[in-house]
Amino acid sequence: MATSPNRLLGVIFGAVYVLVGLLGFSVTNGVGFFATEGGLLLGLFEVNIFHNVAHVLIGAALLLAGISNKRAARAVNSTVGFAYLVLGFAGLLLVGTSLNILALNAADNVLHFASAVVLLAVGLGADKRATGVSA
Amino acid sequence: MSAITRTWISFAAIGTGLIHGALVIGAPLGLGIPLAILGVVEFGWGVLAFTRDTLPAPRAAMVVAVAPLIVWGLLVAAASTLQSPALASVMDVVPWGVAAIFQLFVASILSLHARRVREGRPAARTVPGAARYLTALMVGGLVVSALTTPALAATEAGSYAQPHGEHDGSFTPQRDAPDGDNVDDLFTIPGHNGH
Repeated sequence: MATSPNRLLGVIFGAVYVLVGLLGFSVTNGVGFFATEGGLLLGLFEVNIFHNVAHVLIGAALLLAGISNKRAARAVNSTVGFAYLVLGFAGLLLVGTSLNILALNAADNVLHFASAVVLLAVGLGADKRATGVSA
Repeated sequence: MSAITRTWISFAAIGTGLIHGALVIGAPLGLGIPLAILGVVEFGWGVLAFTRDTLPAPRAAMVVAVAPLIVWGLLVAAASTLQSPALASVMDVVPWGVAAIFQLFVASILSLHARRVREGRPAARTVPGAARYLTALMVGGLVVSALTTPALAATEAGSYAQPHGEHDGSFTPQRDAPDGDNVDDLFTIPGHNGH
């Protein structure tokens, strides 16, 4: 696992997102499931219950694929990366509207875009041959 | 060129592609069409740059990276000389400036690489370890996203994404909606009263 960037990324991001999801529940007391305004994680990143659940599920998927094998890790990293890219765009449009069922804010969008490019770059660009990173 | 440098360049290209794409909305047609093409080309090149093992068409990429900067300079000069408000309205410094930063980064790395190849001493195609690669990518991804997201919000397209009345320039939109704000306001052409 230590030589495959995809597996390493899957495990790290997966664990972090599961943790973030669980921590999110500590700031969303009394916040509705699809509430358009929620609690602030680390004082910066807005979340609601739906957002927390999504984090836990996505994190679990990344983690499981990372633990399994290179092909699964590549596939899940790329898929989640693409989903985050779409979410980043959608987030720009949804912020402040009544359709913002994930309670996204600007800081969330930055983090989602960043996660998206990293996941896509590693999912599509690394582990293409036997050894980890392609020069 | 190391895999890390190549991926950072691809992130920058993706960022500038997104910004140029977003600038199409609200731009006059003569500017909008080239911008749309540029945005798609830059975004596509960026994706190819990290999926392939080598940079696609590095010499052409250098031209594409530098040309919009020159065009921006000329357009700003034209807008102020000709006193054209339609042109000036799409010359906001934040999106063009951030895109320019990305393009300068790509152009400098590409030209450095080209010079090394010309002189016969190309930098080693280093293969970094997985941990270092991932850390570098995360840093690069965060930097590009932290620059691109506010740049997108500062475009005309971005202004339609926010309910009117919240243009206070802050990075994080305020959580309290102004009184009387409703979703329908998003879909009417704003009269720009209330700024």
